[in-house]
Amino acid sequence: MHLLTHIRKELLLLSRDRAGLLVLFVMPVLLVLVLTLVQDNVFRATGETTTRSLFVNLDEGSFGVDLARGLNATGMLELVEAFAGEKVDLERARQAVFRGDYQFAIVVPADFSATLAAAAESAARATLRGDTVEINPGELRLFFDPAVRGVYRTAVSSSVQRGVISLAMASRSTALMGLLRVDLQESIDEQLQPYGAAGLVRIELPVLADNWLEQPLIELREESAAPEKFPTMPTSVQQNVPAWTLFGMFFIVIPLAGTMIRERQDSTLTRLLTMPVSIVGLLGGKVFAYLLICLLQFALMLLVGRYLLPLLGTPQFDVGLPSGPAGRGRSPWRPVVSDCWWGVVARSFDQAAIFWSGFCGHCRCSGGVMVPVYRCRR
Amino acid sequence: MSASVQDSVISISGLTKTYPGSSHPALDHLNLEVARGRIFGLLGPNGAGKTTTISIVCTLLRPDTGRVEVLGQSVPAAAAAIRHAIGLVPQEIALYPTLTIRENLTYFARVLGVDKDLRAARIATCLDLVGLTDMAQRRIDRCSGGMKRRANLAVGILHEPQILLLDEPTVGIDAQSRNLILEQLREFNRQGMTLLYTTHYMREAEEICDEIAIIDAGRVIAQGAPHQLIAGNPACENLEDIFLALTGKALRE
Repeated sequence: MHLLTHIRKELLLLSRDRAGLLVLFVMPVLLVLVLTLVQDNVFRATGETTTRSLFVNLDEGSFGVDLARGLNATGMLELVEAFAGEKVDLERARQAVFRGDYQFAIVVPADFSATLAAAAESAARATLRGDTVEINPGELRLFFDPAVRGVYRTAVSSSVQRGVISLAMASRSTALMGLLRVDLQESIDEQLQPYGAAGLVRIELPVLADNWLEQPLIELREESAAPEKFPTMPTSVQQNVPAWTLFGMFFIVIPLAGTMIRERQDSTLTRLLTMPVSIVGLLGGKVFAYLLICLLQFALMLLVGRYLLPLLGTPQFDVGLPSGPAGRGRSPWRPVVSDCWWGVVARSFDQAAIFWSGFCGHCRCSGGVMVPVYRCRR
Repeated sequence: MSASVQDSVISISGLTKTYPGSSHPALDHLNLEVARGRIFGLLGPNGAGKTTTISIVCTLLRPDTGRVEVLGQSVPAAAAAIRHAIGLVPQEIALYPTLTIRENLTYFARVLGVDKDLRAARIATCLDLVGLTDMAQRRIDRCSGGMKRRANLAVGILHEPQILLLDEPTVGIDAQSRNLILEQLREFNRQGMTLLYTTHYMREAEEICDEIAIIDAGRVIAQGAPHQLIAGNPACENLEDIFLALTGKALRE
C-alpha cells in the first residue's frame, strides 16, 4: 500500500508549503491568544471577580451607610464612593458610567432615610388600622452602562434589591413596633380607666436585636454542578484552548484539500492511478500525515495554554479539568477525514474554502464550541 | 508494415466509449494493433479520441464495449498487472512542483515498487538519460519548461516499463529540448521499449514513428509507416498534407 511513502511525501509537500504551515500553526495560536485574552476580560468583568460600582450617597441619614455596608458584604459589588478622595456626585457618576469606566452607579437621593421612615410609618399606621396601605415609596436610582448585558444587569440589580429589601423590612418593623406599643398602651389605659388604674400598667415591647434581619430564615445555597475538585467558575483558558485547538484542526483543509485538488489539476493523480497504487493507500497517506500534523498542533496549543497564556496574565490551562465539548477527547480524526472529504468533493480551491467555512460554521454552532452546549441540538 | 496479432503488445478491437451526456461516441469501434518494439504514433485532431484511447489502455477508463489487451492481458480485468508493465507520460507536468526532481523521482520509484537496493541507481540512470543529473536538487517549480518535460519523462521510465505511453510529450518546449527528448525516446526504443505516442507535430511523428495511425471521430482512418502513407497519397508531400487531406481543414473545437 506504500503508506509510509505517501505519508512521507505529504509531510515533505507540507514542509514546503509556508502558507499552509502558517495557517496550521500560527493562526490557531493567534486565535487562542486573542480570544482567550478577550474572554478573560469578560469573565473578570462579569463574575469571576467583584464588580466595581459607583455609590453616590446623598442621604444624610443612616440608610445610605447601611446599604453600602450591606452591598459590600455580599462580595459581589465593590463600591467606589470617591474619586481621589473627593466624594462622587451624581453628574460625575453618570458620566463615568456612560464612558464605560464603571458599569453601574447606585444613587441614594438626599433625605432618603427620612422618606423611608415616613413611608414605613405611614404603612405601619395603615396596617394597624386595617386600611389599604398607600404610601409614596422612596426612589433609589441605578445607572448602568448601556453596553452591559441584560443578564448581568439583572444580577447586579437583584443584588441591590436584596440589600434594599432588607433595609426596608427593618424600617417597616421599627415603625410597626413603635406604633404597636403606643396602640396597646392606649387600649389598656382605656380598659383600666373605669377602675382609676389608667397609666398604672406600662407596656414595654422587647427591643429587637440589631441583626435580627441579617439572620435569614431561608437560605439559598448555590453550588456548582462540577465535582468538588473542579473550580466553580470556568476560565477563558479552559474554554478557549481546547475550542480553538479543535477549530485550528479544521484549518488543515487548506493544505490537505489543496494537495488533492492540485494533484487532480496537474494530472499527478492521473499518473498515480496508472501506477500499482491503491486509493486507500493514497488517501491513507494523507490522513495519517495530517493526523500527525493535528497532534503536533494539539501539543502546540497545550503548550500555549500551559506556558504562554499565564505569562499574559490568564490562569494556566489545566489538562485535567473539564474543557467544554471541544476538550472532551474530540478526536482529530474527524477534521482530518472531513477535510479529506472536501478535497475529494471540491473541484477548486474556492469550492473547498466555501465548503470548509460553511462546515466549520456548522460545527462551531452545533458542536458546542461557539454556542453553549445546552443550546446545541442533541 | 502492420503488426501481426502474435507480436502485438497492445491489441484493440471494436472499442467504443461514450462519455456521459455526450451524443457522439469518443471511440467508435476502434481497432488497433501495436507491435512489440515499435514507436507507434497516434495522430488526430482535437477530440478525435487519442487521449481516450490512451486512458483506456493505461486502465484509467473503462471501455463501454470492445476488447483491449495489453501484453496479452485484458483491460480492465488485469489492471494491476498492466500497471506494472506500462509507463505513462501525461501531457501535463504531473509532478509535485514544490519537491525537487530527485524527491519526485524517489517518491514515484517507491510507489512503483522499484527495489530499495536498486532505487538510487535507477534514479541516477533515469536522471542521466534525460540529462538532469546536475539539476536533481532543483525544485520542479524552479525548472525551465524543457527540464520539467524531461523530469516528467524520467518518471515514466523509472520502473523500466515494457510499454511507454506518451501524450504529447514535447508540447510547449524549445527545439533543443524537443530534440533531446526525441533522442531519448529513440534510445528507449533501442533498448526494447514499445512506445505509443500522441502528438500534433506531424514532422516529429514522421521523424520518429515506425508506424502511425490517424484517427478521427473515434475511428482509425489511416494506418501504416509514415513513408508508406506518403507514398500511397501522391498528392501529398508529407504527413501533414495527408493529415489535413484526411481530417479536413475545418476547425474542430
